[in-house]
Amino acid sequence: MLIGEVIGRLWASRQAEGLAGRKLLLVRPLAGAGGTTVPTSGLVVAVDGLGAGPGERVIVAHGSRVRDITVGAGVADKDVVVAIVDDLHLPPGAGAR
Amino acid sequence: MILGRVVGEVWATRKDARLERSKLLVVRPHGWYEPRWATEHLVAVDDLHAGVGDDVVVCLGQPARWSRGEENMPVDAAIMAVVDRIELDAGAAQASHAAPGIRRRWTPPSRWAR
Repeated sequence: MLIGEVIGRLWASRQAEGLAGRKLLLVRPLAGAGGTTVPTSGLVVAVDGLGAGPGERVIVAHGSRVRDITVGAGVADKDVVVAIVDDLHLPPGAGAR
Repeated sequence: MILGRVVGEVWATRKDARLERSKLLVVRPHGWYEPRWATEHLVAVDDLHAGVGDDVVVCLGQPARWSRGEENMPVDAAIMAVVDRIELDAGAAQASHAAPGIRRRWTPPSRWAR
């Protein structure tokens, strides 16, 4: 899974049937594990069934089977929010080799 | 599966019900294949009580959903083993031996015996 920050919601009046009625979030993955997290330049459009909102950090899982057992098999998105982060602990130096 | 080191912990109370018994850990892979993002870490579900600093074996992709054996979990990365000890042959980590896509000039952690 990736950890990312919700930077916004996405609405579209014209969208495929497979997305109809689904809440879409723009998630920016966070990078860096040496005690810091910094945003990457990439963005993911993830389906949310947990009620996440802008500014929150979320865990996004990828895959059609994950999608099937969370938001349903009929949804046309393979990135799904599976957890909303309360706190993140990245002790500095933990990745030292 | 890949090898990585646990570098952090995630706390989340709002999450999929199937994850309630499990911990979410931040893992820094010792070598990547098919990295999806320009990140140095991934988040994996953990039922083995791994801790920060442990080397772990991580299953990536759809099989990770079955890490508990029975339940189909909504995850794409799962900790499958907590490493006690690794022994490497001398030279095993040289770039010429590395599989395609694995980070080059990779230096094994000093705690791994050689």
